Amino acid sequence: MLLVGWEVGVRLSDLPAFVLPPPSQVARTAVEVAPLLGDDVATTLTEAGLGLLVGAVVGLLLAVLIAAFPLVSDTVYPLVTLTQTVPTVVLAPLLILWAGFGLLPKVVLVALTAFFPVLVASVTAMAAVDAEHAEMVAGLGGTRRHQFWLVQLPASVPGALGGLRVAATYAIGAAVVAEYLAGQSGLGVFVQRSRKGYEVDQILVAVALVAGLTGLLFLLVDGLARLATPWQRPSSTPRPGRTPA
Amino acid sequence: MRHGPMTSSLSTEAPPTSTPALEVAGLTVTFPGAREVVALQDVDLQVRVGEFVAVVGPSGCGKSTLLRVLAGLTPAGARVSGRTTVGPATAWMPQRDGLLPWRRALPNALVGARIAGQDRATADARARELFDEFGLTGFERAWTHELSGGMRQRLALLRTCLPGRPVLLLDEPFGALDAITRRRMNAWLAGVDLAGHGRAVVLVTHDVDEALLLADRVVVLSDRPGRVVLDLRVPRDGTDGARRSLLEALDPEGTS
Repeated sequence: MLLVGWEVGVRLSDLPAFVLPPPSQVARTAVEVAPLLGDDVATTLTEAGLGLLVGAVVGLLLAVLIAAFPLVSDTVYPLVTLTQTVPTVVLAPLLILWAGFGLLPKVVLVALTAFFPVLVASVTAMAAVDAEHAEMVAGLGGTRRHQFWLVQLPASVPGALGGLRVAATYAIGAAVVAEYLAGQSGLGVFVQRSRKGYEVDQILVAVALVAGLTGLLFLLVDGLARLATPWQRPSSTPRPGRTPA
Repeated sequence: MRHGPMTSSLSTEAPPTSTPALEVAGLTVTFPGAREVVALQDVDLQVRVGEFVAVVGPSGCGKSTLLRVLAGLTPAGARVSGRTTVGPATAWMPQRDGLLPWRRALPNALVGARIAGQDRATADARARELFDEFGLTGFERAWTHELSGGMRQRLALLRTCLPGRPVLLLDEPFGALDAITRRRMNAWLAGVDLAGHGRAVVLVTHDVDEALLLADRVVVLSDRPGRVVLDLRVPRDGTDGARRSLLEALDPEGTS
């Protein structure tokens, strides 16, 4: 419906193609440029994937430190939150200055975007540990170390994965922005080039690609998350409440 | 099968039954605040090795608090005075099962053994034996939400027994179950030698029949503040008289 309306609207109003091309033209362009986009897509996916991985690991480690040491929680957590107030566009030039034009600054930028949702979700999950479980461990003579390994850490997994799902939706976008600002390859570079040539149809192809890749990445992370938390899989047997044993 | 102090199965492994497994003298627990609550007052309790003691009392009489103090889980902010001598280690089983949803049944059973630092292979083998005794064979790989209420409680009890702590502290282990399941659980538990092998058990319950069925001795706590009003050895032949004295102690005014 939307596409048909767009097509009809553009044709009726006689808009020039460098303002808004009709979807049929975008589709044609997509087919034309598809063979050329392989490298760009590969670059963007590499940056997003690596960044997401680094961000998730850093986020989880930091969450563990925050949960284990109140001092870290008091000093580092507010600082980390502060870094999130700085927009990517401002950070990117700095990162390029420090880390060059290659893969590294992009990965760092994606990681910076991705680690925060993972961190917040994990910290929240660890803080909200069921008192019942903590007491059970203490009642069996468990120390703080046992509490951490047996209860806190595993209890944080679903939360951390929830954060990772959120991070996955940001990752591709962050990579594209980083490339747009300074890159040699990637979808962001493709957008940059297209903009300079007023090739709006190509920009729209990139937009669709970013949305599609983000969707794919999200599905992938979601699938991994389900695999990692099998106890949360809806069981085929009905949940037995107080059935006689 | 009830274990009196002279039961033969104890004499092989257990030290003499006069050895106290835990002892509490003049225990008073207060929760300070605008309205100070005295949960327990001057409670004396001695449990010998090989003994199964049930603590009964009306709800809110502090029996769970007593168990928590014995388990070293003194509630935050509580003021505790008196002398508590508990053996080297206790294993406490909460009212709710406390099973970890991210562990399957067998790994859940091993939590206590892991805390006790037991060898993994030995604990695993022992756990599988107990799965049989506790009627859980075939459910080793089940997630906890796939188990029935009765199975969950048995699994929690298994987890509590497995580390081989000398004192088991059970807080209404079957309190959350329906009446039929609870009766079955009690019938089954009466046949399990919990207090054997040099162990001692303290069971908290509000069910007089459960106490009489399972315990060698029943201690009755009064309404808040909890005080020991009766300490009764359960006779091995016919519990009707014991039942009557327990009910009288629980309801001194005879309102029921």
